Amino acid sequence: MTKSRREIIGIKSVSKIYNLGDTIVKALDNVSLSINENDYISIMGPSGSGKSTLMNIIGCLDVPTKGTYKFNNEKISDMNDNQLANIRNEKIGFVFQTFNLLPKLNSIQNVEVPLVYSSLGRAERSLKAKKALKIVGLEDRMSHKPNELSGGQRQRVAIARALVNEPSIILADEPTGNLDSKSGTEILNFFDSLHKAGNTLIIVTHEDSVAKRAKRRIEIFDGKITLDE
Amino acid sequence: MNKIIKNILIGFSAIRSSFTRVFLTSIGLTIGIFTVSIVTAAVSSVDREFAKSIQSIGNDKIYVGRMPWSFEFDWWNYRNRPEIKEESLDYINQYSEYVTQSSMKQNYWTKATYENKASWLQMNGVYPNYNDMMTGTKVVNGRFFSENEWKLQRRVAIIGGSVGEGFFDGEDPIGKKIRLGGVSFEVIGELEKTGSFTPTGSLDQVIIMPTTTFQRILTRWTWNEFVLQIDPNNREKAKEEVRMIMRVARKLKPDEEDNFAVNSADAFTKQFNQMKIAIAGMGLLVTSISLIVSGIGIMNVMFVSVRERTKEIGLRKAMGATNSDILTQFLSEAIAIAIIGGTMGILLIRTTLYFIGSAIANIDINGMGSAIDLQMDLLLTFYTFMVCVFLGLIAGMVPARTAAKLNPIDALRHE
Ligand SMILES: Nc1ncnc2c1ncn2[C@@H]1O[C@H](COP(=O)(O)OP(=O)(O)OP(=O)(O)O)[C@@H](O)[C@H]1O
Ligand SMILES: [Mg+2]
Repeated sequence: MTKSRREIIGIKSVSKIYNLGDTIVKALDNVSLSINENDYISIMGPSGSGKSTLMNIIGCLDVPTKGTYKFNNEKISDMNDNQLANIRNEKIGFVFQTFNLLPKLNSIQNVEVPLVYSSLGRAERSLKAKKALKIVGLEDRMSHKPNELSGGQRQRVAIARALVNEPSIILADEPTGNLDSKSGTEILNFFDSLHKAGNTLIIVTHEDSVAKRAKRRIEIFDGKITLDE
Repeated sequence: MNKIIKNILIGFSAIRSSFTRVFLTSIGLTIGIFTVSIVTAAVSSVDREFAKSIQSIGNDKIYVGRMPWSFEFDWWNYRNRPEIKEESLDYINQYSEYVTQSSMKQNYWTKATYENKASWLQMNGVYPNYNDMMTGTKVVNGRFFSENEWKLQRRVAIIGGSVGEGFFDGEDPIGKKIRLGGVSFEVIGELEKTGSFTPTGSLDQVIIMPTTTFQRILTRWTWNEFVLQIDPNNREKAKEEVRMIMRVARKLKPDEEDNFAVNSADAFTKQFNQMKIAIAGMGLLVTSISLIVSGIGIMNVMFVSVRERTKEIGLRKAMGATNSDILTQFLSEAIAIAIIGGTMGILLIRTTLYFIGSAIANIDINGMGSAIDLQMDLLLTFYTFMVCVFLGLIAGMVPARTAAKLNPIDALRHE
């Protein structure tokens, strides 16, 4: 790894603590992590270990209870709602573990959602959305609603949505969990090409084959990072 | 700006997916708008008619009669009052400083016939100078009767503006012979059509003749009035003066009450304004209640909408929607509901007025229709529209703010 790569995510002693009255859950326990531009990271760990929690914090959807998080060297805690919304819109593409598609919108409209909150015009939006759907191989399912798609197809719509605004960082929470090996491989090949194009990728996975493609492997157990290589 | 429109469109599109609910919610507003429009239309049309009538009564006149012009009509108290006698007018002419001109005006309803057509009309017996005292109308065809015709008790008649239509089918009425109370009269003049009402009825449905003829042919027992010309600046003084003269003329003792009334248009105006305020007040009450109720209805539906779509809000925020994007989206939805309700209200009132309008046109036998021509202008529609937008804004504010302030991850986890 060359030293010249810029740090874009700096996490220092971050904890996420849920106080449920009688029990206290430390979803993240004093985690520190530095992620550079063009990193290709896999995060593994058992269920409930805090992977999604970490992803949510990196994706500026959640805020840590303790510790500091710097994005592009700027403290997230100092930013206002609009600046955070802007980061989520332009810099980060999020693929959720549970797809989170809007049930009343068809594929192309779902993919367009992030573009609605950018300054693009209508024609440009649908052009970009179509392109993203083509990338994930769903050009023939553009006007299908989520309930007219298979689980794997929904997953691919969600991925297309994450890609559509050409974010520099892609956060994917088990992106291939619902895919057959063929389309899973296609997605992963696509992630490889994104990495080659200079994007930063963070992928939560349970599969070793996925983790092997990544250049850096992080393991989490009980809210703590137990491996980072 | 482009972004605001996008959010508004998202908000509007939510309407389509829950249209039944939206429709039912907006009905409250429909009723509210309907009420306020009906009241406004009623008040303004009554107002317009009243202004015309006031003009025909004239604010430079006072009227002496047996009964006051009042909506609180106390018949039992007034019915035993002695008739207003022509002799009293001589007293007024002799002693009053304020009255510059005067005329007797006798009222009597009788059947008027021409060939095979008949109609009940109001007969007025007046003096020749009444011609100079008429306000709001004048002779536009033919002429008024002369001093001589009055003296000679001639059977000549001046007909009101809409009498001719009924009898002569558009032919010139001048020179025609009509029968009044069974006796033949010659029509010598026709009044301008006014469409207005006086306390004694429509000004267009009268037949004017000399008092002398009136008393000889028709009756001596009539409802008499004095019409007195005054300077409007001295109206109160003139009324008081005339009252004192009338007391003397009618030989009232100091402890006896007046057994006559001195009327003028301003008393009528006061009465009318009270009525108008009462109508408007009721309308305002009903309107504000229905606006509040429909506002609460919209607010309720919006809270439901926000709760149902919490996950959507979370997702949109995760994809980069700002708080104001979400606020705009939900405010637009609330405003859309209000606009749907308001538009239905406007359509309803339009069709209602249309049918009322044509119904009145159908029963317009004696020119009555012009008295109740309800009408609503574009400006009023525009105001109504603005009220809806405003109501949607107010009712949607709290739910939309709740939506905008949601934390993205909590909203996303919502099931
Ligand atoms: N909102 C919450 N309130 C309370 N506890 C929570 C909340 N969110 C997460 N947790 C807890 O935090 C821990 C970490 O959750 P997280 O979703 O990060 O797990 P994960 O590693 O993504 O698991 P999986 O592989 O099953 O998706 C869990 O024990 C969970 O119960
Ligand atoms: Mg998870």
